[in-house]
Amino acid sequence: MIDVIVIGAGPAGLAGAISCAENGLKVTVIDEFVRPGGRLLGQLHQEPSGEWWNGIKESEHLHNEAQKQSIDIRCGVSVYNLEKDEDAWNVHTNIGTLTAPYVLVATGAAEFPIPVPGWTLPGVMSVGAAQVMTNVHRVEVGKKGIIIGANILAFAILNELQLAGINVERIVLPEKSPLSKNAGEPEVVMKSLLNAAHLAPSPILRFGSSFMKNEGFRKLGMKFFPKSGVKVNGTPLQLRKAALEILGKDQVEGVLTADIDVNGNVIKGTEKVYEADFVCIAGGLYPLAELTAVAGCPFKYVPELGGHVPHHSEKMETPLEGLFVAGNITGIESGKIAMAQGTTAGISIAKHAGKGSTDINEKLEQAMKNVHTVRQNAAIQFNPEVANGRRKIYELWDVFYGKEQDTLQEIG
Amino acid sequence: MNNKEALVICRCEEVTYGQVFATAKEHKCTSRELKLRTRAGMGFCGGRTCRVMVDRIIESIVPNTEEGDIPLKYQPPIRPVTFGTVGENHE
Repeated sequence: MIDVIVIGAGPAGLAGAISCAENGLKVTVIDEFVRPGGRLLGQLHQEPSGEWWNGIKESEHLHNEAQKQSIDIRCGVSVYNLEKDEDAWNVHTNIGTLTAPYVLVATGAAEFPIPVPGWTLPGVMSVGAAQVMTNVHRVEVGKKGIIIGANILAFAILNELQLAGINVERIVLPEKSPLSKNAGEPEVVMKSLLNAAHLAPSPILRFGSSFMKNEGFRKLGMKFFPKSGVKVNGTPLQLRKAALEILGKDQVEGVLTADIDVNGNVIKGTEKVYEADFVCIAGGLYPLAELTAVAGCPFKYVPELGGHVPHHSEKMETPLEGLFVAGNITGIESGKIAMAQGTTAGISIAKHAGKGSTDINEKLEQAMKNVHTVRQNAAIQFNPEVANGRRKIYELWDVFYGKEQDTLQEIG
Repeated sequence: MNNKEALVICRCEEVTYGQVFATAKEHKCTSRELKLRTRAGMGFCGGRTCRVMVDRIIESIVPNTEEGDIPLKYQPPIRPVTFGTVGENHE
């Protein structure tokens, strides 16, 4: 008998599994990828303290902890459906159906695609794919690259590509269209980068602080933004240039660009081709919540959290009995937050299952507090308003489900 | 067809931006209807790449739709599986 099935062996899933097991529950973790760690496997950056965050080491540490707790981890397993009968959840996978009274969904995030003409050519990839190829598979993605899309994720991965000795020639914006939305508007992009600048972990992200946060100055700054771009750790960030088309016969050979005005409109006659043998499209991240959707969980659209998130409490419960969530499925944040949320979810599950010692409530409070502490100390914020987004979803929970939970506690 | 119109939105079913855009403009419909009319999102991957774009095209064309209230429904299987797997044949 399995007590808990954890879907996703990333930072949230592994931390959740460990805290379930520590409280006496029998846990199985499943993951689509061939090895545990999730997006931790791709991460490598220097913290403001000067310390290096090595995601592979972090994932090994979690994996070792999980093994010590005799947690069953199965990799290369895909979940294609999640549904409940009277008293147990059925997790349908490519190796059969697993059943348990509790499920923790920690499926993380997915990347927004931004279609650009020519994006089906070999050599075009999402920026996250370039990260995985570089830091996980140790495959050189190319000799000369261009990143389309300027956001925190793109900068973090640019840094990692540079550390691996891979040459990224420039960062440009996607052409403004209904598909790229704000990602094609220089002023909006600049604003989002400015908001992140004060939290930037390294000088590469702090370039923006040289601009004023005042809207007028920002507009002026964008108007006179140098054509050659601003150097981000050696790579020019060209906020006034858009990618119109990726060129090549059998594979990527270059990118057709044009200058754009502050609002993202193409300036005719400024077309220019840059050579490249790989192109990374950086559209940003959104919570990957499809499994909670098929399970029947209600959703709320919270832009600060990256998109649609399943209704959930600060204790990581969903409105569906026995179904819990943790990590980026609840909103786009760092791996450290995901771990802290995973720990909270694990304790929460143990509490619901009537496990753990007499101090389980204290432990849960402590774990929830820890999530806040980690957030306050975070180096990178994907969205500067993330704390507001969190507050919105917890308030919604209190309005919709708060009373019910209180009653349950009284009865329990 | 210019390059932008020929831009492939749904790789599985090879549906272009031009096709999806024109259909959305003509019918001013829901994401689901746009999917059924063009087959964008109905291929092997289950719309994992293009559903966001199908939503965004609707958002840009149909008045009073916002990103927050137009997502396509999710239904199983959310990953490609064989008939054998769904039929509980795990040999």
